[in-house]
Amino acid sequence: MFESVLVANRGEIAVRVIRACREMGIRSIAIFSEADRRALHVLEADEAYCVGPPPSSESYLRWDRILEVARGAGADAIHPGYGFLAERAHFSKAVQEAGLVFVGPSPETIAAMGDKTEARRRMQRAGVPIVPGTTDPLADPQGAGELAREIGFPVLLKASAGGGGKGMRVVEKPGDITRAFEAASREAQAAFGDGSLYLERFLDAPRHIEIQVMGDQFGNVLHFGERECSIQRRHQKLIEEAPSPVITPELRKAMGAAAVRAAEAVSYLGAGTVEFLFKDGEFFFLEMNTRLQVEHPVTELVYGIDLVELQFRVAAGEALTLEQDSLRALGHAVECRITAEDPYRGFLPSTGRIDYLRLPAGPGVRWDGGIISGFEVGLNYDPLLGKLIVHAPSRTAALRRMVRALDEMVIRGVETCVPFHRRVMDEEDFQRGSVSIRYLEDHPDLMDGEEDESILRAAAVAAALVEEEEQGRLRLDLAPQDGRVGFSAWRLGGRAFMGRR
Amino acid sequence: MRYFVTIGTRVLEVELGPQGVRVEGEDVVADLAEMDGTEVRALLLGGKSHRILVGREGPGDWSLYLSGRRLQARVLDERRQAIQKLTGMGLGGGGPKALRAPMPGLVIKVEVKEGDQVVPGQGLVIVEAMKMENELRAEGEGRVGRVLVAAGQTVEKDQVLVEFEAPEDHTEKGPEG
Repeated sequence: MFESVLVANRGEIAVRVIRACREMGIRSIAIFSEADRRALHVLEADEAYCVGPPPSSESYLRWDRILEVARGAGADAIHPGYGFLAERAHFSKAVQEAGLVFVGPSPETIAAMGDKTEARRRMQRAGVPIVPGTTDPLADPQGAGELAREIGFPVLLKASAGGGGKGMRVVEKPGDITRAFEAASREAQAAFGDGSLYLERFLDAPRHIEIQVMGDQFGNVLHFGERECSIQRRHQKLIEEAPSPVITPELRKAMGAAAVRAAEAVSYLGAGTVEFLFKDGEFFFLEMNTRLQVEHPVTELVYGIDLVELQFRVAAGEALTLEQDSLRALGHAVECRITAEDPYRGFLPSTGRIDYLRLPAGPGVRWDGGIISGFEVGLNYDPLLGKLIVHAPSRTAALRRMVRALDEMVIRGVETCVPFHRRVMDEEDFQRGSVSIRYLEDHPDLMDGEEDESILRAAAVAAALVEEEEQGRLRLDLAPQDGRVGFSAWRLGGRAFMGRR
Repeated sequence: MRYFVTIGTRVLEVELGPQGVRVEGEDVVADLAEMDGTEVRALLLGGKSHRILVGREGPGDWSLYLSGRRLQARVLDERRQAIQKLTGMGLGGGGPKALRAPMPGLVIKVEVKEGDQVVPGQGLVIVEAMKMENELRAEGEGRVGRVLVAAGQTVEKDQVLVEFEAPEDHTEKGPEG
């Protein structure tokens, strides 16, 4: 095992990796930008070195400086976390060339999966299902009609040169295809100077379901079931859970096998995630993320494993000793991403100093966070403050536990999306597990900013009482007035309470 | 004493007397306890327990944190309320309302011009920060007075971007309205 690891990241994921290092007896080396001198990952690491000014491009993305720090501090390996340099093939290569171990797949694997059309082609060859259709231009409406009948309606006509929804048409039934073809082609011609179209199966409001995989240097690849990640905003996941409420053991086996084939097709090493779109019992390859995911803890909780520890083990050359058939998900886990965004103002990023922090605790609650009281949340980095994760025997119990944990949590100083999560937990479609990637668009009322009447009343009473208390104190210094000198408002309230008993 | 507490667009009437507390005309048992030396208050309202963080921002101005939300409350007692009504200042204070930048960033697009009538939710200015475009929307109805920024301009937090003409009916909405 490694003696020391440099963590080339910040925030909650850096803290997560450092925690694994400490538990495994590995010396942890943090890096930080000038904006992060007081960040939690710096406080938790054994060693920490500054790599540059606040902008990521001058610090967390400066792989040359990061390598210099790694060499200077005597690191054996570099863990990239997610984001920043995690999926840059050239970084993985540079780490190898410097004689250190990159905790993740090879530069070739990262490059192959990073090119999305190349990845699709490889997956098709490996027998991983992709959305049925063609990437070659269609000759005419008749050809389109024949192909559409073959793959099944509804279909989506797309401009080959396309983007931004122009030259795009959903066709529900065979009779509509000629008119739709001509309209889409005209639109594409006008927008891109190229009227050629292609066609694929239209997935209306699919789910996003992904499979966790792990590969070692001996060609063993395991999967750890699925995560349901349909609750998203602009492709940014907000809530994840494992297992998915709609995946049967048979489907899990089929999706797991497909994900393992996908990983084997690129000689996968380390932790990775194969993302699928899921609709009506069918699943289609979307993309593969060649790194640890933000939402990895839900998988850890239901499978009772430590994915970061496994990453370190396979990176250090150990073989995976777990048996696929012995892996079973136990209970249900849910994660809410807690971001510094105001859900009532279009998820506008919020900045400020965290001046009061109370984290939930108690049975089945896990907090993977990157914040501390006094920390300044700025605009240089991702607004993710941490992840609140719960584990319980059933989905119903997990949702109740999440409500309880969200209610315990206090983060003051920045607006957070906690109230949004709280509302989702109460929403019926979510409770039934009836979700899709269109969930937010279908439930705009979750973000309408209407405060609950009981909350408003509590706030109004508290404000009036503290104001009266404030004025009462002032009156002590003045002449007596109304015979109510020195009556502090809260005691006055307390009297009412006592009187009633 | 009767208080008028403005939170967002709502004005709630709270009466504190020796006999107890009355909110919006309803009697309710209230007990506010202070966690000594902190901003934490434990409120029992009709038996329901609330944990509230309070911060004094100025005379009658309080910031309250409860149930995951930060709320701004302006508390006026009935005398100050009457005086403000007489002087025509309204609950929200005088002067035109303004759209301020909620964070430093780059103005991508200004979607309104002087004299435009805007409705709640209408896009006003798009500001880029954290590599994300954020559309700032009108919180209430009004007419655009002055536009103080243009596309391509960088702005500081709280910088005024768009001013609105003072509404004719002052009693309707607070400063957050």
